[in-house]
Amino acid sequence: MRHPLRRAATLTAAALTAAACSAGADSAAPEHTDVLRYAAVGAAATASNDPHGGLGNESDAMRFALVYDVLTVAGPDGRTAPRLAASWEPDESLTHWRVALREDARFTDGSAVDSGDVLFSLRRMADKAAENYGRMAMFDLGASRAVDEHTLELVTRAPFARVPEALQSATFVVPEGTTDFSSAPPGSGPYRIAGGDPAAVALERNDDWWGEPAPTGRVEISAIADPQARADAVLSGRADVAGSVSPTAAEQARGAGVQVVRRPGVTAYPVVMRTDRAPFDDPRVREAVKLAADRQQLLDTVFLGFGEIGNDLITPADPSSPDLPQRERDLDRARALLAEAGRGDGLSVELVTTTAYPGMDASATLLAQQLGEIGIDVSVRVEPQETYWTSVYAQSDFYVSYLGGIGFLDVSRIALRADSPTNETAWRRADWERDLDTALADPDPASSDRALGELQTRLRDEGGYLVWGTGDGLDLARPGVSDLPTGPGFARLFVDRVRVGA
Amino acid sequence: MTSAPPLRAGVAVLARAGATAVLLSVVVFAAVEVLPGDAAAARTGGRADAARLARLREATGLDDPLWQRWLSWAAGLLRGDWGTSLLTDRPVADLVLPRLAATAVLTGAALLVAVPLVLALAWLVGTARPGRSRVGGAVLTALAAVPQAVVVAVLVLVLAGLLRWLPAVSLLPPGVPPLRRPEVLVLPALALALPSAAWGGALLAGVVADACAAPHVRDARVRGMPPWRVHRDHVAPFVLAPAVRVLAAVAAGAVSSAALVETVFGYRGLGELLVGAVAGRDAPVVAVTGLLGGLVVVVGAAVADLVALAVTR
Repeated sequence: MRHPLRRAATLTAAALTAAACSAGADSAAPEHTDVLRYAAVGAAATASNDPHGGLGNESDAMRFALVYDVLTVAGPDGRTAPRLAASWEPDESLTHWRVALREDARFTDGSAVDSGDVLFSLRRMADKAAENYGRMAMFDLGASRAVDEHTLELVTRAPFARVPEALQSATFVVPEGTTDFSSAPPGSGPYRIAGGDPAAVALERNDDWWGEPAPTGRVEISAIADPQARADAVLSGRADVAGSVSPTAAEQARGAGVQVVRRPGVTAYPVVMRTDRAPFDDPRVREAVKLAADRQQLLDTVFLGFGEIGNDLITPADPSSPDLPQRERDLDRARALLAEAGRGDGLSVELVTTTAYPGMDASATLLAQQLGEIGIDVSVRVEPQETYWTSVYAQSDFYVSYLGGIGFLDVSRIALRADSPTNETAWRRADWERDLDTALADPDPASSDRALGELQTRLRDEGGYLVWGTGDGLDLARPGVSDLPTGPGFARLFVDRVRVGA
Repeated sequence: MTSAPPLRAGVAVLARAGATAVLLSVVVFAAVEVLPGDAAAARTGGRADAARLARLREATGLDDPLWQRWLSWAAGLLRGDWGTSLLTDRPVADLVLPRLAATAVLTGAALLVAVPLVLALAWLVGTARPGRSRVGGAVLTALAAVPQAVVVAVLVLVLAGLLRWLPAVSLLPPGVPPLRRPEVLVLPALALALPSAAWGGALLAGVVADACAAPHVRDARVRGMPPWRVHRDHVAPFVLAPAVRVLAAVAAGAVSSAALVETVFGYRGLGELLVGAVAGRDAPVVAVTGLLGGLVVVVGAAVADLVALAVTR
């Protein structure tokens, strides 16, 4: 009586297995060379068609970088290179900039890209400042104007020599008057949308693009939130590239015949010490913490060695970051500083962290142990990532922050001015800000960089950031993939020169 | 319940289901409210000042009292307008509908495995000799208690890692429906089906054992009726109503487990969307998604009640 059932169960299992076997076999041979399948960081719930918002999904930002033209990009040497903006020229005061656009750019609906489209897009970004961290804050776009069809005059709020840099990478241009972003507006970039939706899109080469045609005919970008699922997608041959995997996944992949592409200086978990509240209002306490950290151990544990030890410089990958002697661990000096500060009998603090990025929590636990060696008793509290950025970030006295490889200009605007919305270390130095404005108004790149380097040195020695190291951005790629971008910041999004070999 | 005329009792079942659905819509909509933070804060990532946040809240209607937001959302639902995402300004229907199909296919595939398995396990264990039956029941209960994440890990390790029969991720090329690549469904469907089948089987095995022990069943056996006829005519009718209830619960379990399983396998379904929408406090998306999942439970329970009415008439 039980036999028929048993037989049925066996048959079902056999059928499942057989179906799976044949299906697995025919998909195991991806011999294409004209499709790039990219598994990018992103969540379906935040997948958006709006290129002027927060760009929180890397999968969106990458799609925008391929579908829309931007004004300028980072060149191979890290300096700004032309893209839709062909050239630029400031007036004497460095407040009025003439920007000449290419005249041969066309949207995929056939209309020409003109200065009205560019001005509209920049103004829209300014309107959405709350979402994009004030990316256009240095411009007075109300006073800016279209001089003629292909020339703009951009007005800055103060003398500003770094306009080309400020227009880099994220200035996605859409047709003037676009209000409906429930579907993607036409673009004028190297690719056009061929199907899918924002969370999983298929792009094909835009043969009408003004630039050198992209080498790969089709790009498929999938938003995958889980880092291990991204890595597995490449390991199982379902994707050619996985963006931003964990150091653990990168280590596993090295043994599996998959390329690990390293983008240096991308991830930092700076430890924030608020300079306006005890105990970190005392510069000696802050310095003691910086001297007590074992940077090599942190790098080896948190980033598994994929990265470099830090020198407390907030943006070590920035071209203006100064070259200074490495700060070494010195426990005696650290203890002496604590004693001088009247904290020689011990100090109890709470260090807050989260699990938003791999290793953030481990970095706090390890640092707590290291600080224990100089008599600081650190208790670690782990907060859920959903609320970390709104309830801990820029509010707690002592916590693990995150920097995703943005440059010094952006960090200084977001976090280092007295009125910055997220001035997390309470860094309020009128003289420092004055010198920053002077440096930004210096038209000579060399002396401007020197001045900015000076400012970063002061921040390093007096400020509230412990930067013990920077981790590499880690992407996985199947063996035939080449020319993946490795530059800092948004450079990683421009995958329009990537080739996929068999 | 058996004493009421079947029609009236049936109407009562449907009315109860309707009321539960309305209550459910309130709960899923208010659920986001009790979590700390809101969509405006999530959208700006903690980097906007208070004035900008206030403007964003006003623009998206987050300022209005909760009941007012629920009312206009529910009224929209009745008109066929599912609302707009607070995180991306995209229509909720655009986000949900393509994924609804994907999740329906996945949970459908899971039930295709789970339902026969529940029945088979229940009969196997329920009709076994007492000693074996106890052991079988204990094994099923233990299997049902294994966390979903462990089930996923073991399945991936064996079927994808060691045997290399199946892909470890269920990533579909853009625009390709899952049924055109059925191999991506197998692992997530098994991950959904196996724990709930063990649970359902353990539950139903007791019912089968009780039904087999009933006097008229023993009687029929003694009279020499062939075993398959005993089961068809004397055991199955008594097991039918509880079985439908258990299967409704198994379906509900599969739907609610979909969030974890879809995320782990990178499968583009409603569960994966829900996880992100909850993290971003996107009330309209959470509410529609939660309501759809909840309706499976409500409808399943109503069907089970109606079947019970029909067979106990």
